[in-house]
Amino acid sequence: MRIFSIECSATAASVAISDDKKLLSEAYTNTGLTHSQTLMPMAKSVLDCANIELESVDVFAIAAGPGSFTGIRIGIAALKGLAMAQNKPCIAVSTLEAMAYNMLGRDCVVCSVMDARCNQVYTATFKCGKNIKRITQDEAIMIDELPDILKNLDLPIVFVGDGAELCYNILNDKIDNISLAPINFRYQRASSVAACAFEKLKLQSAISAEEILPVYLRAPQAERELKKRTENN
Amino acid sequence: MNTFFSHNSDQTEQIGEKLASKLKAGDVVALFGGLGMGKTAFVRGLAKGLSVCADVSSPTFALVHDYGGNPALYHFDMYRVSTWEDLSTTGFFDYLDANGILAIEWSENIEAALPKNSIYVEFSKGELDNDRIIKITGESIDENFFD
Repeated sequence: MRIFSIECSATAASVAISDDKKLLSEAYTNTGLTHSQTLMPMAKSVLDCANIELESVDVFAIAAGPGSFTGIRIGIAALKGLAMAQNKPCIAVSTLEAMAYNMLGRDCVVCSVMDARCNQVYTATFKCGKNIKRITQDEAIMIDELPDILKNLDLPIVFVGDGAELCYNILNDKIDNISLAPINFRYQRASSVAACAFEKLKLQSAISAEEILPVYLRAPQAERELKKRTENN
Repeated sequence: MNTFFSHNSDQTEQIGEKLASKLKAGDVVALFGGLGMGKTAFVRGLAKGLSVCADVSSPTFALVHDYGGNPALYHFDMYRVSTWEDLSTTGFFDYLDANGILAIEWSENIEAALPKNSIYVEFSKGELDNDRIIKITGESIDENFFD
């Protein structure tokens, strides 16, 4: 099964083509939020390098969020366009679950964290080993709430994602047994989206491009006033 | 005090151009002042000063215009933005990381979300109908800023 995957939920963007579990070609760009300019050239180069025609892709996979509004919108729009034109099925996976696949094969608990600003993160936890099993659901929380989620786990806890360093630095002296994923395994990758999508497709069927929806988790941000001045001054 | 007086939109544009020469990637220019005060003319001046070739107009409906350039100039209009969720969905927080220059009309509506080191540009009316007083302040701006 040929899977074409897109991941651009944060400042980096990547595209991959894989065949079942085997990664054939992957492109990655981390130069700021320029996905609308880099995504399509990467898609073309990945397909060219693997010598695969777009027509022969079986499934289109995307990390549908949570993450940056702009990034997710660009990724989903691109994926829908490609899949619709080919009339091929799609699958959406959680950004947080996909990045847990970076650590596949290591016995640990993966805590995926994305920086949602103002000491807030998007997070979920997974038991990692030969496969990835979800422990907690994707949620948007304050970093202070993380220790509660991470208590009573008897495996080493590894942070992945663009919020990993932030959380590690804040929580290092509050929680034992935590570490940062090595830098080359820390961030979102389209190849991990592909690995996650491949496992999901064993349990559920793909859906149409029209049915793919972005997942924007609402940050818990205290509802302070956005305007500072009143109408009178 | 960096206060400028303008008698028409051409002069307002020139003041924008003057500010542009002091801007660097990552700066946020927050514009305050009601309808018809010359905010868009000011942004036109910013674009000119940054050597960005673009038709500058208020992004009232599009919310943000990307004029390109190096650094890129992003022009926001927050007139219709009233909640944090509205603001997130404009992509505002993503653009803050994009290493460009943000010019934000109707900053009144999102003042609490402005980065600490924003440059505040406040428009008020002068003596005559077309006169404007343009006050430029900010953490990084001292009295020698425009020297």
